[in-house]
Amino acid sequence: MVRFVTRALGQALLIALIGAALALTVNQFREEGLPLVGDWSAEARFTDDSGQDMTVSLDRARELHQQGALFLDTRSSELFEQGHIAGARNLPWESFDRMFGEIMSDTAPERDIIAYCDGESCNLSHELAITLKALGFSKVKVLVNGWTVWREAGLPVENNSAGEGS
Amino acid sequence: MSRPSLYSVARLALGVIFLIASLDKIIHPQPFSEMIYNYRLLPDKVVNLSALVLPWMELVLGLLLTLGRALPGSVVLSNLLLLAFFGALMFNLARGLNIHCGCFSTDPSGDPATWWYVTRDTGFLVLGGYLFLKTILSKQSPAARKTK
Repeated sequence: MVRFVTRALGQALLIALIGAALALTVNQFREEGLPLVGDWSAEARFTDDSGQDMTVSLDRARELHQQGALFLDTRSSELFEQGHIAGARNLPWESFDRMFGEIMSDTAPERDIIAYCDGESCNLSHELAITLKALGFSKVKVLVNGWTVWREAGLPVENNSAGEGS
Repeated sequence: MSRPSLYSVARLALGVIFLIASLDKIIHPQPFSEMIYNYRLLPDKVVNLSALVLPWMELVLGLLLTLGRALPGSVVLSNLLLLAFFGALMFNLARGLNIHCGCFSTDPSGDPATWWYVTRDTGFLVLGGYLFLKTILSKQSPAARKTK
């Protein structure tokens, strides 16, 4: 039994090492190889393809809200219906292709747009912002952890039963 | 012996599962690293390394299982990986994190992790557990060794 365990663990370790060696070698020679240690800070995660910061502060988001910026909620429609930033439209990332036309048809490309979801780790708004930028909407920003910070700051929210503008 | 044993069928199945699971992630390491990051289980520093190494480990395991080589080691490592994946999935389901599985594809547009993934991964664990037990038993019993 002991011999079997030692042999199995030895082989397992060797397999893991071979996998690691192959991975690192291939990554080394790939054009779009990953850095071995990535930068996963919020600042680095929320940049667009040209390296520009896409995040917006809560204060700036509030100003833009007053100036009539379009807020896009990228969470699921169930969460959106339970409550969202006042005036926001729901564009769930997973339904982007289906809903884009309907949600964005009346939006001028130069309008201020703020995408948000919920939670520091939520990438949906970032993905949406990058996609919108690629589609020509030049003034797209991301409010990180948007729903939580907005609500906790006591800024205007609404849910579908409460109606518009409450 | 013309009829394949249940053991070989299970071994081939798990091997093919690992092979399929590895390919998309090897081709797209960047989206896969984002999925690992979204699981929020590993320290930031090892996210990329895991995204690079895991799929290649799966590929090597898949090949070994399919070919029936180095079985004690590949069966043990497969089970360790399956347990780790299952644990990660369950942990995030329990804390209500709405994320994508990243199990076979790095495409984030499908449904996020749901009970379907849990059911499927349970199936993989049963498969892995069966192979593990059979491998241990066949190595332990001299009779089994002779007939092999």
